[in-house]
Amino acid sequence: MTEPLVAPHVLEWGYTRSLGPTLTAFFTGLRDRKIVGAKTKTGRVIVPPTPHDPDTGEDVDSLVDVSDEGVVETWSFVSHPRPKQPLDRPFAWALIKLDGADTAMLHVVDGAIETGSRVKAKWRDETVGYITDIECFVPA
Amino acid sequence: MANPCAIIGIGQTKHDTKREDCSQIDLVREAAKRALEDAGLTWRDIDAVVIGKAPDTFEGVMMPELFLADALGAVGKPMLRVHTAGSVGGSTALVAASLIQAGVHDRVLTVAYEKQSESDAMWALAMKIPFSPPLVAGAGGYFAPHIRKYIAQSKAPDDIGIKVAVKDRLNGVKNPYAHLHLPNITYEEVRDSLMLWDPIRYLETCPSSDGACAMVLASESASNAPTRPAWVHGGAMRSEPTMFAGRDEVNPIAGQECARDVYKQAGISDPRKEFDAAEIYVPFSWFEAMWMENLHFAPIGDGWKMTDTGATAIDGDMPINPSGGVMCSNPIGASGMLRFAEAAMQVRGQAGEHQIDGARLALGHAYGGGSQYYAMWVVGSEKP
Repeated sequence: MTEPLVAPHVLEWGYTRSLGPTLTAFFTGLRDRKIVGAKTKTGRVIVPPTPHDPDTGEDVDSLVDVSDEGVVETWSFVSHPRPKQPLDRPFAWALIKLDGADTAMLHVVDGAIETGSRVKAKWRDETVGYITDIECFVPA
Repeated sequence: MANPCAIIGIGQTKHDTKREDCSQIDLVREAAKRALEDAGLTWRDIDAVVIGKAPDTFEGVMMPELFLADALGAVGKPMLRVHTAGSVGGSTALVAASLIQAGVHDRVLTVAYEKQSESDAMWALAMKIPFSPPLVAGAGGYFAPHIRKYIAQSKAPDDIGIKVAVKDRLNGVKNPYAHLHLPNITYEEVRDSLMLWDPIRYLETCPSSDGACAMVLASESASNAPTRPAWVHGGAMRSEPTMFAGRDEVNPIAGQECARDVYKQAGISDPRKEFDAAEIYVPFSWFEAMWMENLHFAPIGDGWKMTDTGATAIDGDMPINPSGGVMCSNPIGASGMLRFAEAAMQVRGQAGEHQIDGARLALGHAYGGGSQYYAMWVVGSEKP
């Protein structure tokens, strides 16, 4: 009896992402060192922005700039970063509620951290319109 | 006996090769907001959302129903995803309708979409499997031999596919949402276009589109809307495996039986005489002739004659795809729902330039996979 056959099966396709107006505004904002949120009709500010109020489905009212400084809501510390992680020294993944925003955004915090810490974006010298234009957040 | 189900809101996007102006979220919302507006409702009025699209490999978004839940106002509401390959837009509408017919909900939003520009649907359908050489034939390569067999069996003239392609493209000019607008298309141009998968030429093939369609379905007590509703007179689905012993690729049994079922529900004995319009899934032009037989509009071997004599033209006795159909717009996951929605638009008198005067009864049809899945509904202007 021959051994049943097994072979690798690699599936690979390229994909495209069309961001639409709302996320285009967010990523274009990063290039200009600004963080853009979406203000819903009830006054909540969603960051990163969505075209709709995630609670109700209604269109958002407007896009607004929020601060690049905010408060750590919760975090997970990485004592021994792996090669592909964003910093080569101990850091924290953190949910940061920026001043002017009502939702927290995931990013990286370099330095001492605790829940409630105030942190500020550290922008890269060169910005291209990626979330990594913010190298990390540092104590404010 | 099921409760009556009304179609009170219909919306669709402008379909195009690449809707680079919008994200997947923006695309489904464009259709859904139009459907809500047509129904005179807001997101908050909706009880449940039923979404459909073709395989996740098309956009590379796993579980789009999760990704799109809040964008479709489904927070705190049931959100279901349906998948039956190319027929999914039809089966999604039928699942949504069943929630009304069963008395579970009063207003259901149903949405179907595909954003094919975000990947390559042809290659996503032509996976390279170990131990087999890739055919890289896509859907056209799969269906070409079935069409050849139909031509041989029916002794149809070899230009029926050309005539369907010209007719549907000229119908599409009357539809502002259609992807292809080819007002100057000619018989010669189709005939001389590249033979892609013999006997299917380039211009006998549907386009690859980005687009979405949405409908608001309602119970009788919730059926008041700014435009008079269409009513579901019957709905049916069937499936069959591609390799069972009784398989007939030209006239699949699942399609025949699905049609018989839906006609029986709607009390239809002579579909060609009783329907005022039909929107059927014709991704390659020859399928109009094949489906005319499968759907019992014509005796076996005679389907092509309906095209040849002009019966299926917009001014013929049995207008098929007055919207231009799949031959003009094919956002795959949405294509079936577009057929269902266009049928409902006809009986609501909403079809604009491609309206069939006084249409009261219409068929929406979708098929998918390797002619494996069928979804059909009959809609009428009167409550059944």
